[in-house]
Amino acid sequence: MTAQIELTEVNKHYGAYHALKNINLSIAKGSFVALVGPSGCGKSTLLRSLAGLEKITAGRLTIAGDEMTSVPPRKRDIAMVFQSYALYPHMTVEENLVYPLRMRGVSKTEARARAQDVAGFTGLSGLLTRYPRQLSGGQRQRVAMGRAVIRSPKAFLFDEPLSNLDAALRVSMRKEIRALHDRLGATSVYVTHDQIEAMTMADHVVVMKDGVIEQQGAPLTLYDRPENRFVAGFIGSPAMNFVAAHGIDSASIALDLPGRPQIAVSRHGEAPLKAGQAVVAGLRPEHLRIVEGEGAGQTGIGRFTLPVRLIESTGSLTYLSLGETGEIALVEHGREQLRPGDRLTLSIDPALVHLFDPQTGRRV
Amino acid sequence: MKSIFSSLRDGRGFDVSLVAFPMAFLFLLSGLPLVYNIVMSLQEVDMFSLGTFARPFVGLKNYATLFSQPETWPILKNTALFVTASIAGQFLIGFGLALFFWNEFPGASWLRGLFLVSWVMPGLVVGAIWNWILSGDFGVLNYVLRSAGLISGNIFWRSDPAFALWAVILANIWLGISFNMILLSVGLSSIPKDLFEAAELDGAGAFARFFTITLPMMRATIGAVVSLGLIFTLQQFDLFAAITSGGPNNASNVAQYWAWDLSFRQYDFAQGATISVIMIVFVMIASVIYVRSTRQEVRG
Repeated sequence: MTAQIELTEVNKHYGAYHALKNINLSIAKGSFVALVGPSGCGKSTLLRSLAGLEKITAGRLTIAGDEMTSVPPRKRDIAMVFQSYALYPHMTVEENLVYPLRMRGVSKTEARARAQDVAGFTGLSGLLTRYPRQLSGGQRQRVAMGRAVIRSPKAFLFDEPLSNLDAALRVSMRKEIRALHDRLGATSVYVTHDQIEAMTMADHVVVMKDGVIEQQGAPLTLYDRPENRFVAGFIGSPAMNFVAAHGIDSASIALDLPGRPQIAVSRHGEAPLKAGQAVVAGLRPEHLRIVEGEGAGQTGIGRFTLPVRLIESTGSLTYLSLGETGEIALVEHGREQLRPGDRLTLSIDPALVHLFDPQTGRRV
Repeated sequence: MKSIFSSLRDGRGFDVSLVAFPMAFLFLLSGLPLVYNIVMSLQEVDMFSLGTFARPFVGLKNYATLFSQPETWPILKNTALFVTASIAGQFLIGFGLALFFWNEFPGASWLRGLFLVSWVMPGLVVGAIWNWILSGDFGVLNYVLRSAGLISGNIFWRSDPAFALWAVILANIWLGISFNMILLSVGLSSIPKDLFEAAELDGAGAFARFFTITLPMMRATIGAVVSLGLIFTLQQFDLFAAITSGGPNNASNVAQYWAWDLSFRQYDFAQGATISVIMIVFVMIASVIYVRSTRQEVRG
């Protein structure tokens, strides 16, 4: 696969503020890449730099092999869907759709034919004569996408396009955007703060924080093997539990919980643990298992007991807050006959325990 | 009477009184004079009948007389020229400045605020300043034009019939630029920035963006600015009083100044009222355009 978009050592400064720090990113042709991270992490700045709406201070950007570092936006042949949709309010849906074609000198007849075509597969056929103000949020979203796809650009950029929609619509539009991407064989870069969107839609997820790429890779790689504590806490919902711990021997640790329970950990090629080495154990809420029947109540190797603080049930899933202050989260399928104050015995598969350095936050 | 008070106390009827007070105010101070003016234009009015309402009605005779006078058409033509040239100058320069200050540069909003100085100055003061600038013998405008080699001899702006009206137009444009600029700046800043970014990515250059995004999005503001400009220009009186007094020989006379001159200097109240009625018609048309343009605001 060839790289459609290539960023090399890209930096962006706003005065003294360093918004993007040494970004290296290669986006393969036909891939769907999600840029994800908390507010202010630089993901939108990075996207706007790809579009040319922000000038990068240092580094190099190529699109489809062409040097684009200081080419103005209109000559980059890139389409963008804005968070606000940025539909032209004084133009009808059809006029919005043909605008990018007309600006590139496509004849009126041909542009209108293309608009009919795009309206057909984006579900806008009956709405061509309406104005944006007469459309629902979902319909506006479709117009914004239609306006992006009508001219087959080299890449699509999405800037949090679903954040103005309600939850149900967001889920269905997620699938539509991905389906459209596959249908067009396009290259897409998608900015979101919602890790679920990133995980479900993208082939390649880039997690950013404070202008730095913390980790990038396939969605499940990020989930299974987070390189640092930030990525571990950001990917997955509810968020990973972090418990202070120290090494007992090369394959087990003692958690800093009442009773100092010991649990086994398995190492996949990482350096062996040292006895007494301080670590932070990352335990995903969905990986904690409640021990019932025979072993319940016993605390020892591989088991630990915590009191229940809060029970939230959604019907299919039960969310439990455990520990003295409810600091440990646990998710169980089905329903639990539990009351606050009950004590639960827990275990976890050694292969699912993540260990991080308390100082650097890096995986150990 | 009691029920009115109780309705005020329990809140019902309060909304009616909120509407009634401004309506009464408008009726007394705007509506009645307007009607009185129209009635006067249909009557024979002189110094002796001024104190009474019982004056002989003469139908449209005042209008007939007005249009049979030799100075009427030239003055109406002057008025049209004054309005058109003033609005064109104020609008074009105001829009240019608004676009200029729209580019965020250090001190842009501060400098833009300074332009309001011309707007807060009374017309008579502005007139006095321009009298100095336009002065034939030692005026700075003649000096600049002469130094630039554009003219060889001094222009007597205020007393030359070919230039007198343009002298007032010049001062009026200066007076109105800041008002146009501020309103147009507000209109510009209310256009969402991402529309321009979207248009840029869609391939529109600077000119295409101006004509396909900026201008259409400014339609409501431009309608409001131009119709308010028409109203203000038709009200412009101070500058004529200060700079040319309508002279020489009506060369710079306009309807609003002429109406005042007829009524309060020649005491021909009926003729003054008749001109006012004709102006009311034009202001009404401008007001309708203004109301319609503010109602039809296009916002996403």
